[in-house]
Amino acid sequence: MDIHFENVMPHPLASIEHSSDSIWGSKVSLRAGHKILLNASSGKGKSTFAMTVFGIRTDYDGIVRYDDRDIQSFSVEEWVQIRQRKIATVFQDLQLFHNLSVAENLLLKNHLTDFKSEQEIKNLLAILEIDHKWDDRCGLLSMGQQQRVAIVRALCQPFHWLIMDEPFSHLDDRNSVRCLEMIAKECDAQQAGFVLTSLDDDERFPYDYELKL
Amino acid sequence: MIRKLLFRHQDIAQLVIAIIGAFLGMTFLLTSIHYLIKVNEFGEGADILGPNTIIVQKKVSTSNTLNIAKSDFTKRELENLRKESFIIDVQPVETNNFDVSFETADKLVPRFRSDVFIQTVDPDFLDVKSEKWKWKEGDSIVPIIMPRDFLVMLNTFMSASGIPQVSDELAMDIKFKFTLSNETEKEWANVRIIGFTNEVSSILVPQSFMSWANKKYGIDDNQRITQVMISGKESEFGLVEEMLKKKHLESRNGQMVIGRLKSMVGTLILIVLGISIIAVFVSGLVLIQYLQLLLSKNTYEVRTLLRLGYSPKLLTRHFFLYFTKVFGVVALLSLISFVLFKFWLDTLFEEGGLYIGTTFTVTSIASLLAAYGIFAFVSYLNAKKGIYRSNNG
Repeated sequence: MDIHFENVMPHPLASIEHSSDSIWGSKVSLRAGHKILLNASSGKGKSTFAMTVFGIRTDYDGIVRYDDRDIQSFSVEEWVQIRQRKIATVFQDLQLFHNLSVAENLLLKNHLTDFKSEQEIKNLLAILEIDHKWDDRCGLLSMGQQQRVAIVRALCQPFHWLIMDEPFSHLDDRNSVRCLEMIAKECDAQQAGFVLTSLDDDERFPYDYELKL
Repeated sequence: MIRKLLFRHQDIAQLVIAIIGAFLGMTFLLTSIHYLIKVNEFGEGADILGPNTIIVQKKVSTSNTLNIAKSDFTKRELENLRKESFIIDVQPVETNNFDVSFETADKLVPRFRSDVFIQTVDPDFLDVKSEKWKWKEGDSIVPIIMPRDFLVMLNTFMSASGIPQVSDELAMDIKFKFTLSNETEKEWANVRIIGFTNEVSSILVPQSFMSWANKKYGIDDNQRITQVMISGKESEFGLVEEMLKKKHLESRNGQMVIGRLKSMVGTLILIVLGISIIAVFVSGLVLIQYLQLLLSKNTYEVRTLLRLGYSPKLLTRHFFLYFTKVFGVVALLSLISFVLFKFWLDTLFEEGGLYIGTTFTVTSIASLLAAYGIFAFVSYLNAKKGIYRSNNG
């Protein structure tokens, strides 16, 4: 599934001057199965981009399309299916349930599609070295640990695209690379692409291409 | 897991208060509707006259005796009675305008004969099956409704003659006859008792028979109306009574007592019913507010679940089912306490001499289901509204 941006301009960003290579106000396509870095400084609309692609924000001019469908034409039930099976997300504010355990947070997502077995989920946590936190409440974890739980949660579903909004902001390089490798492997297995928003250039991973805001 | 997530922000004290309020309201609602129906049914079928029906006449005073005041009703007086808002219908009671005597015509019963007074009323006022209550010229038997006092008198005669007394059922099997006469003619007509009344002092006959007999044997063409039947509205018998006083009319005390009692108890129960409806409404409102509060406390959880791919329909169903279960338990507890309450009240009424029906009323159970249905519907609408509002965030 390709995602197309056609002269999209979020209303809050309309008053800001955007560079000629910014996706805001231009025609840009996110090609299926590609690994894309979206690089922009603060206030340029990285979270707005993630929220717009995910159908949460609709305050923009222009058109966003999944293949040939304007995403504003999707019904509530279609969005339910898209969020269950086509687009996975790691929110900047993670959106975990702090009163539930790591296990409960992950299984709550996985139950929607039963995409992974409990053991497979534990294996992903083990790769990120937080499998021992399985029964701990999310609210008790560090921000870095919470980010890793949010990443694993996003992988507990089938998807065509994984949209990540500054997912490594609280992780060191070693853990970031480990996460990126795991994400890339999961994407390859599903023939899916990802978009990772970042404040800086990222030389740690061979992205297919880079977009600017 | 969703349950654990969505229902942990509970203010148990508020929920318990709402549940107690709803429980009390529902119990009183059920009880008051049930007894309102039962009180209205009280007295029905006990007599041949329809419910809330009385026969009235002008009070006899010295003026009537001295022929200064008239004891009969004019057409205008009848029209004025009909105009009263609390009166459903007014019909004259037609009387015989010729001589009638009533006697036994059965070999098994000793001869008994008495001059009598016969009357007829509009069939709409009578609680009697129409196929039994009809007569046409040429019919061999005239159906009659007998004053119970007359049967008592007959039994006194039987007893004095050393003959066993007769029950209502047996009296209906005995053959009787009327002798209709005027100065020149005389005729016999077989009659059969089809029912008894405590409310009318004379023998009631079908209208067709009275018209025929009055035409054939009537001494005077001008039919005087000395009694009228009045059918009053439910729970407004006090107004009928007030009007009777004002217009110097009177009726049999027994008829008035039942009407007055029903009006009084009915009004009291109506007040309880009103309070119960308010209680159910307020407690339902508190439960709905509780639902809204729960939704508002769960804004983050609901919004995040929707972003994870949970369907708004599924989340709406979770809230809807939770509250319908809560109200279901309330309704069930109310039904149980109503049954216990009813058992106690029925015993209390019986001890007090009020033999009201002890069967359950469909309307009271239907009111419980209606209240439950309304609450379930409002819960669903509120849950849906709250969830879909979160979906836009």
